[in-house]
Amino acid sequence: MNSNTMSPEGSPSGRLRQSILVVEDEFLIRWMLSEELRSAGYHVIEACDASEALSAMKAVRPDLVISDVRMPGPLDGLDLLAWVKENLGALPMIIISDHLHPEQALVDGAVQFVAKPYRFDTVLEAVANGLAGKL
Amino acid sequence: MTSNQSDEPPSPAVLIVDGDIVSRHVIADYLRHCGYAVVEAASSAEAMIALREPTLSIDVILCEVTVVGTQGCFELASWVRANRPELEVKLAGGVEMAAQTAAELCESGPHLKRPYEPSAVIDYVKQLRASRPL
Repeated sequence: MNSNTMSPEGSPSGRLRQSILVVEDEFLIRWMLSEELRSAGYHVIEACDASEALSAMKAVRPDLVISDVRMPGPLDGLDLLAWVKENLGALPMIIISDHLHPEQALVDGAVQFVAKPYRFDTVLEAVANGLAGKL
Repeated sequence: MTSNQSDEPPSPAVLIVDGDIVSRHVIADYLRHCGYAVVEAASSAEAMIALREPTLSIDVILCEVTVVGTQGCFELASWVRANRPELEVKLAGGVEMAAQTAAELCESGPHLKRPYEPSAVIDYVKQLRASRPL
């Protein structure tokens, strides 16, 4: 059983794909980003807010997290980043935001910052960098 | 995306509506493994956005009945009957029923086979839920 997927038998080919947790409350943005990442070959877990992301990460550990900052509920993306740094310190995390200053996210511990609106190529490059930094 | 650039017909698409990320994602992955395009909604409000989005093609809705939102599954099913009668709505009460429904979809799905038994899905969801306390 793969420890970093939410599938009892991993990918259909048996090859272990790198797993990305996407945390975004805007449904269509999350859907498009997740589908683009799946097309690029990643295994994607979709969370609609930080609370769902915590539930997912307490069950399985992804290889990388991409999170928006502003989300409904008691926790935002920076709270999630703080939780990751405290509990899963080596886990790379990309922060996506339309209002945050890049330096704030990076000081708080994100490995990459991507400003909204973004090109998918930019996110894909940030994902590759984040995963490479982990290896 | 559920659109397909090649000459092959697009995969039929399932909209799964479930407020529990663990069961939603495990069931969604199961359906992807047997060839469906899958759209995941965490609430009935998100499901409504998906159903109103013209670029999103949905064929079947699988709704877990405890889903949260301004509308539950039954209200969602009523809306679909009135506004999108071509869509099939399958209601599931709990992960066991959702896994069984997904397995039945796989029987008639694009790959005509199950990726693994639905009991593995149920066991895995239970295992993941049990491991949640960090």
